[in-house]
Amino acid sequence: MKKWQPYLLLSPLILLGLLFLLGVGNALVQSLGYIPAFNMKEITLKYYRQVFNEPALFASVKVSLVIAAVSSVLAAVFGVVLCAALTANGRVRNKVLQIVRIPILVPHTIAALFIIMFFSQNGLLARILFHMGTLGSQADFPAILFTTNNIGIIMAYLWKEIPFVAYFVLALMSSINATLGEAAENLGAPGIKSFLHITLPLCMPAVNKAFLIIFAFSFGAYELPFLLGATIPKALPVQAYIEYINPDLRHRAYAMAMNGVMLLITLAISAVYYWLSRRTYDKGGNRFGS
Amino acid sequence: MDRKKHRILNIVAYTAVLSILVPLLVLPFWSFVGRWPWPGLLPENFTLRGMEELFSGATNVLPVLTSSIALSLTVAVLAAVIGMMTARALVFYDFRGKELISFATVLPIIVPGTAFAMGVHVVFIYLGLADTVLGVILVHLIYALPYTINIMTDVTAMIGNSLEVQGQVLGVSPARSFYHVTLPLIMPGMISSASMAYIISFSQYFLTLMIGGGKVKTLSVVMVPFIQGGDRTIAAAYASVFVLSTLLVFVLLEILVRKYTARLSGI
Repeated sequence: MKKWQPYLLLSPLILLGLLFLLGVGNALVQSLGYIPAFNMKEITLKYYRQVFNEPALFASVKVSLVIAAVSSVLAAVFGVVLCAALTANGRVRNKVLQIVRIPILVPHTIAALFIIMFFSQNGLLARILFHMGTLGSQADFPAILFTTNNIGIIMAYLWKEIPFVAYFVLALMSSINATLGEAAENLGAPGIKSFLHITLPLCMPAVNKAFLIIFAFSFGAYELPFLLGATIPKALPVQAYIEYINPDLRHRAYAMAMNGVMLLITLAISAVYYWLSRRTYDKGGNRFGS
Repeated sequence: MDRKKHRILNIVAYTAVLSILVPLLVLPFWSFVGRWPWPGLLPENFTLRGMEELFSGATNVLPVLTSSIALSLTVAVLAAVIGMMTARALVFYDFRGKELISFATVLPIIVPGTAFAMGVHVVFIYLGLADTVLGVILVHLIYALPYTINIMTDVTAMIGNSLEVQGQVLGVSPARSFYHVTLPLIMPGMISSASMAYIISFSQYFLTLMIGGGKVKTLSVVMVPFIQGGDRTIAAAYASVFVLSTLLVFVLLEILVRKYTARLSGI
């Protein structure tokens, strides 16, 4: 085979990859305060320090972390449960599966609309509860949209991400169920026990990967916090965009520092994931031996 | 014990089905809602306001819909082809930097979208790609590729290249051997890659707004202000068009796959 052939095949990817790195690299350089076009040429960590020191900005970091952590953990747990329900008996329920696939096709912006239609204080659920006599008035329905508890954002993420996790883990779990899980049950282990001790541990690589994907996404995505979030404090991506479009161009460095913080945190989490997966891979041999 | 377990799993499955289907069914209904004061369970009246917004005059959605579908189909085809090329390089060759490249392919999934969007925006202004359809296609491609490369790598590894090489041994040129032997075998994978890329591109809001600068109008970009503005009737009308058109494109792609596999098994 010719030496240049793989590079020829990779050339479009490499071009797009360079564009990607140029974009991310530019964000990082500007986050250090180096923006020659605005006559800012001093390289400094001052903008990062301010993101962490200024309470208003650091509140954004916390909001984003909470949203990403809570929604991703819940999505991983419920996604695995849903996946177990889909693969029960070792065969996949096809009709249910077709429906579970739908939220993957529906964008986050429409998931936000669903949450508004059902869970706002004059939404469908509040009306139904009112007629059942559970609610005295609109105000009795808990405010979960546009408030600092961020429950609306988390619910919209869950609507999208539980099916995503279930779908992501499905192939692995159904193949494990069909072989090892059934063997364990035939040997007398009750269903839940064989699930927890055999199926689930073997599925963990896929679950972890799915978790990483949804965590990174929900930590850095603009749409849901923009549509359903509180006015103050805003999630990092929303606050970063506000700084970005500020007419005072010096604010751009703050925007980029916030992007830098997002980038560093997701990279740190990926590094931990990488390290963990290497470790289990190395230990893989004696997993059954011990 | 076993029956109880299955009952719980059934409840889980049906709860999921309901919470997915109910909002999707309410959506088209809500695009006709007129006045709906608290605490009525049903609207007082219905209106065609949503339909007028969609299909008449200055706000006609059809041109936006068709150009939006065309843009996303372009991204889909390009992403499937580049995914296939990358997968072939990664599966069939050993070369310097292979590990690095295969690691780099997942980066767009990990790097926060806003960080990339703002960073690349300035780069695109310099390159003259900001506010252009080409620019939007390029950034959509970057976000679709991790998924198409993943699918195509699995498919390519599974099919292998022994048949293609055999064709070459028998005297067919590499290009013809690929076209007549391998391509039909990987076509279902290409089509599911394309579907994935399509949906990623079609759903993209922030990236499109940022790079397209509001000049490249996709259905997402036009729809979101109504969701944000709180006019639920018009928002629901746009969202219905969005979901319906997506399902339509997917059904068409599915039919394409079936035709293809049917033709293959007919040989």
